[in-house]
Amino acid sequence: MRVLHLLVFSGLLFGIFYNAPQNLLPANLIQLRASWFGPGEFRKRPASAEIEIPSINTEDICHPEVANWRKSFRIDDVEIDSAEDCRPDNPWDVAAAVKGTNNVSMSTLHQSLFAPDAIEKSQDRDGDGDPDLIEIRLEVMEINGNSPDIKGPVPEFEIAPGVTPGFWIFVPKSRGMSTVDFESNIANRFMRMPGPAIRVEQGDEVRITLENTHYLPHTIHFHGVDHPFKNPQGDGNDGVPLFSEHPVMPGEKKTYWLKPRHAGTMFYHCHVQPQAHILMGLQGMFIIEENRPDNWVQTINIGAGRVRAPSQAVKEQFDREFDMHYLEVDKELNNQIQNFNDPRLISRAVHRRYNVTQRQADYFTLNGQSFPYTMRDSLLIMEENQRYKLRVLNGGSEGLSLHIHGHKPTITHRDGVALSASQREQRDVFWLSSAQRLDLSIDTTNDGLNAYGPGAWLVHDHREASVTTNGIGPGGGVSLLVYKNYLTEPGLPKNVMGAAGLATFFSEKYYAGDIPVLAQMDPESFSEPVTDNQFTFSALRSPLFFVFSVAFICGLMVTVWVWRRD
Amino acid sequence: MGNLAKLLTALIVSCAMHLLVAQQSEDENGHSEMSHQHMHHKMDMDRDGMVMHANDSIVPKDCERISEDFEFEIKVGREYAEVGYTFGYDQHEFRVPGCSRIKVTLTNKDDVRHQWMVHGLPRYLYPQGMFHLEVNGRRTRAGTFIVPSDDRTYLIHCDMTQHMEKGLKAQLIVGGSKTDLPSIPGISGSNERDNY
Repeated sequence: MRVLHLLVFSGLLFGIFYNAPQNLLPANLIQLRASWFGPGEFRKRPASAEIEIPSINTEDICHPEVANWRKSFRIDDVEIDSAEDCRPDNPWDVAAAVKGTNNVSMSTLHQSLFAPDAIEKSQDRDGDGDPDLIEIRLEVMEINGNSPDIKGPVPEFEIAPGVTPGFWIFVPKSRGMSTVDFESNIANRFMRMPGPAIRVEQGDEVRITLENTHYLPHTIHFHGVDHPFKNPQGDGNDGVPLFSEHPVMPGEKKTYWLKPRHAGTMFYHCHVQPQAHILMGLQGMFIIEENRPDNWVQTINIGAGRVRAPSQAVKEQFDREFDMHYLEVDKELNNQIQNFNDPRLISRAVHRRYNVTQRQADYFTLNGQSFPYTMRDSLLIMEENQRYKLRVLNGGSEGLSLHIHGHKPTITHRDGVALSASQREQRDVFWLSSAQRLDLSIDTTNDGLNAYGPGAWLVHDHREASVTTNGIGPGGGVSLLVYKNYLTEPGLPKNVMGAAGLATFFSEKYYAGDIPVLAQMDPESFSEPVTDNQFTFSALRSPLFFVFSVAFICGLMVTVWVWRRD
Repeated sequence: MGNLAKLLTALIVSCAMHLLVAQQSEDENGHSEMSHQHMHHKMDMDRDGMVMHANDSIVPKDCERISEDFEFEIKVGREYAEVGYTFGYDQHEFRVPGCSRIKVTLTNKDDVRHQWMVHGLPRYLYPQGMFHLEVNGRRTRAGTFIVPSDDRTYLIHCDMTQHMEKGLKAQLIVGGSKTDLPSIPGISGSNERDNY
């Protein structure tokens, strides 16, 4: 009797082994089974799923209302270069930033977003035709923050489609609503990260007032900018809490004082709990332009990017100038501010519960945007046989390995210090450590060394994570050095991928990982197979027998258990 | 059961209100072209701050005349914040009868900008339905507007990022309106609450 039981039991176990679907067996048993009984019959794989390639009108990408901002302007005697970009900077903002909000007409001020006292320029002390006392007022804003009324980031600022990590930012003092209008939750054009690139002239007396409109204390540290440790009033001027000064509390203000003797590309950032505040976005580029007569510099460049009114010294040597500010973002930090409304809870989450030593970046931005949004306002638009100046800042806490396809730029300045002719290096990969600045000169002469000719050449950090947005590529701070003849009408680069082309990437679904990345090339081959729950069961050699055996063994065990219990 | 009845009533009332608002915005759109031209005349801006869409004389079309005059002297700043907030007004609720003329004097006790902005006013008188008072640090500015006759609760806030969320939200109750807006410090609860 016992032998019979053993036989039946072994028979059933064998049956299960013989019939079990492949995904239930370890690989070595599958191989064993195949070597004994052969590989089984061929089964058709599931068909490719239909995919919907998102489409978006290029007009909508660029905002039709900014179309007339692209031409060259002369506003209040300020010459503003034409800009072919999809979304160029507002020329009235540029005019007010060059002339000063106290010197432009009321109509210019109205068309900009500046407060009347945002940038005040006065006193030509050396009589060389430009103002030498510059007063700048900065506020601190939060974008993609929490609201007690609605779910979702307030006000919304996307770095990529559907990607809205929270940021704290320095913003030039503005006026009115922070959104584009009352019906909208979209942040206005000043409410973007990173902070604006600030430009002054060498030797200017610069007073920068931090009006702390935020709910936590902040300071400004002027990294690499010539500044005394104390301002003329005897207050700390270095921006460091504890050693230099008491931080600026919510609702309060403080004026920093600078008279930079040395020109160069520098950096400014908050120094309160820097491991959090710098990475929350409280940072910007600070540029001191060489002293020249009649040198009206563009004091504020919103979100960095192209400089539409370059300084005299830059115009002497270069055809165009670009500010390029890189910053990587860890959503574990930046999304904390969306989880709470009470400032005490936000402070706990950002300063204590978030552990920066375990930081891993998810997003990578150039001038506050990731691909494809970098295509809208951070292209390097160039022409042949010209010279261009790039000021590059790595504001993040990881290194950056900048590579520009098709060109070998020359480093002219490192950390705001000019290199001698023998120190200058021409290369195609530039390492920028954290907080580092490089001034690069690009010569677009097609000679096989400086440049390889016109095209739409990729500009990217060569650490591969950074060409993605949370692992989905293309994303991150990828941009293009694009020649004018490679642009289409609204300022977007030509693409060779057909109708969907660039539009595929202007989709939240793409960066949520819901669209197969190669599908637009060949949907049949590269879209996702339809999910097929039947597949595992149809793979059974004899489904009925398998189910029967499992049921029989279960029944047997229950019988034995009941029999034992009684 | 009583709760259910309350919920149902609330639902019906809110549906009716939505219909009413939808109706109203259609009316208002018809006039937006005209009022747009007046927009720039209605902005008064200087280093002290700005007043937008002030109106001390044109009576809303549903009012025969101004029913009553009010003067609110409001202070704003960090010192008026409730516990757990950053900023506050010294008063977060205002009540007036329909067709009132309201002069608001806003005194800013902080060093930074603050605003006192009313939304939802008729667009044929107030572009974007808005009356806006903005005051630079430690200054005072005043402006006047006239409300229509219907019972309604209007949102008042500071539209600088996070100022409404961190305490600068208030309401103007006109006539017999029974509606409270959410998240008004000291007055009403929030839809999304923090866990302590």
